[in-house]
Amino acid sequence: MAAAVSVQTPKSAGAERARLRRSPKSRWRLVAGVLLGMGVIGAVLVHVWLRLQVVQMGYVLSTTSKLQSRLEQENRELKIEFATLTSPDRLEAQARQRLGLAAPEKGQVIVLP
Amino acid sequence: MRRSLQRNRGRLATAKIIFLGIFLAVGGRAFQLQILQGEKLMRLGQRQHLKEWIVLPKRGALFDRTGEPLALSMESQSVYARPHRIQDVDNVSQNLAQNLNLRVSDVRQKLTSEKPFVWIKRQVAPAEGEKIQALNLDGVGMFYEPNRNYPQGQLAGQLIGFVGRDSEGLEGLELKYNDYIRGETGSSVTERDALGRRVLVQGVEGLQIPPGSDMQLTLDTSIQHLAEKELETSILKYRAKAGVAIVVEPYTGEVLALANYPSFNPNNYSTQTAEQRRNRAVTDSFEPGSTFKTILAATALEEEIVGREDLFYCEMGKYHYGGKIIHDTHPNGWLSFAKILQVSSNIGFTKIAEKVKKERYFKYIEKFGFGKLTGIDVPGEVPGLLRRVETWSPIDLATHAFGQGISVTPMQMVMAYAAVANGGFLMRPYVTRRVVSPRGEVLLENQPHVVRRVISEKTAKLLASMLQDVTSEGGTGTMANIEGFDVAGKTGTAQKADPVHGGYAAKKRVGSFVGFVPANDPRLVALVMIDEPEVNVYGGVVAAPVFRNIAQGALRRLAVAPEKTLPLPTAPKGTDLPAWRAVKRTAPTDGAVDGVPDFLGLSLREALEKAQTMKVKLRLQGNGYVVKQAPAAGGRWNDDEVLVLNLQG
Repeated sequence: MAAAVSVQTPKSAGAERARLRRSPKSRWRLVAGVLLGMGVIGAVLVHVWLRLQVVQMGYVLSTTSKLQSRLEQENRELKIEFATLTSPDRLEAQARQRLGLAAPEKGQVIVLP
Repeated sequence: MRRSLQRNRGRLATAKIIFLGIFLAVGGRAFQLQILQGEKLMRLGQRQHLKEWIVLPKRGALFDRTGEPLALSMESQSVYARPHRIQDVDNVSQNLAQNLNLRVSDVRQKLTSEKPFVWIKRQVAPAEGEKIQALNLDGVGMFYEPNRNYPQGQLAGQLIGFVGRDSEGLEGLELKYNDYIRGETGSSVTERDALGRRVLVQGVEGLQIPPGSDMQLTLDTSIQHLAEKELETSILKYRAKAGVAIVVEPYTGEVLALANYPSFNPNNYSTQTAEQRRNRAVTDSFEPGSTFKTILAATALEEEIVGREDLFYCEMGKYHYGGKIIHDTHPNGWLSFAKILQVSSNIGFTKIAEKVKKERYFKYIEKFGFGKLTGIDVPGEVPGLLRRVETWSPIDLATHAFGQGISVTPMQMVMAYAAVANGGFLMRPYVTRRVVSPRGEVLLENQPHVVRRVISEKTAKLLASMLQDVTSEGGTGTMANIEGFDVAGKTGTAQKADPVHGGYAAKKRVGSFVGFVPANDPRLVALVMIDEPEVNVYGGVVAAPVFRNIAQGALRRLAVAPEKTLPLPTAPKGTDLPAWRAVKRTAPTDGAVDGVPDFLGLSLREALEKAQTMKVKLRLQGNGYVVKQAPAAGGRWNDDEVLVLNLQG
């Protein structure tokens, strides 16, 4: 390296340095380019992140939707069970057999005006 | 330095060319994929990550007038297989048969089928479904299908009808209102991942398919249950073939109960016969017999041809008319019109018909709605059979007078009596109050509809008072009497036509009773019809008690107070206490430790307090006051023993 420096004249070295050194305009261009590139990369990353979030939410929604369906189904089953257990046929049998109840006799039902 | 720069430029140029080449190659490939093959590849991609989900229709529910559910829908799992994907048929057959309670040979036969898709078992129980899912068999899957459930079982089975496996109404109200209650089948395309799991990136809007509308009926579950139970009891007691009971509100035409026997449970529709499925109240017509005499009586009164006290000679039970002999069950001499109705004299009514004339009588038969559909919102209604008056021979006038030679449906008959009960208006009967969409909008609402005025209010009142005599002492319908209420009605015992030999069958009869209560301010009209009873054929015996029991329970249910004050249950002699208080203990045994303590006459609270103090274990039956206890007071008592108390009052 020292040998290389020794063969260069100060003028030509300065010119080369000047040529290599960017002008302010071109430096701004470079900075702008870098920022633009970073912006594009950032936007792409945000897009990818958002897309991942959407997919993630899709999974959550899907699980919740399944849970909702299952609960609705359970609710329907319980309604059916309740209606079956309170059907007049069963209630009468239970009232007569388990509780020993009987139909009211005359005069035992008083209808209030 | 210059050489170095030149070399760098050369490298840069080479790099540029390489990158340009790569860019062109990538661009070219992108062009090929996006433009040339874009459509095809997009289709392939969508097939891989998009899936169409079928959303099955959710059928609306059916409720009675008080909101009791009569039909509800749920989802059931059905097990299917794709035979070509199954490797170990024997093992899979064994597993499926064991868990689904099927025969291994049947399952194996399905799994060795050439078909790409076979059902193994439709609508399995939830526990069975869970077992199959846990097995995780290759080539075996589950499919959700809608399943209709009728929680009240056979209650109003023929009226409600049933639904097929594809959620289509096949009979009854399920068929009639299918378009309203079925709901829509929908589909939604959603993304799925590599494991086939659904990923709802587009939201759930696509899956929100509106369910079918709910329907509220005019039926009252309690009255319906009572009608079915009483009808069945009578049919079994008198060994009858079939029967119908209908309860209707006279002023609106709302059907409170519509019972048929034999009964039909829509939960097992495929195992039941067409005989069981038939809603006889509207699909069958019968010769009504003496209950039809009310129509002639109404005609005679409305046209002022006959007065209540006009006398007719009843020929001592045998009358030659139109080339035939007309008989009465009991021979009668001179009877007033009211008495003729009370004892149901065929001869008396033949003579009244002669005075009324057939054209006038026919006009009223039509006005009362016979020979035409009532318009009830139930499928399969028939108009009955009413021959044109021009074709009537003299004997036809007589037979029509006492309800033979004409066929009517039970529904037509009960609505004709409703017209007498409500002051003369023929109403259109209906069983559906309203249909409400899932968003709460009323899509359909049935309102009381007057078909026409048939008779004047004056005639209706007069006829009602005459029909009251039928259930009074000396009438044919005394067994329809309800304590505390005045009942108006008419018995009927009709001969049945013999379709094989012609004429009437020697022993086949239809016993019936139609009436309304309270007679002066009717709250319900009821018809009971017993087809081919064997033990006793008379309507006054086989049908009238059924009417009484149904009407009594229905009045209680509708909170109709008795017109006359009823006495409380009578107390034993020598006491002025009601029965349940009359058994008051005779000897104080409080604190007795040697014998069984006495609980008689105590209220429920008093008994519980006493049992707690004395540390006695109780078993209670009923409510009110203790009228009986076991073991009886004063006997031997073990500390471990349970004392059974019967309470009443």
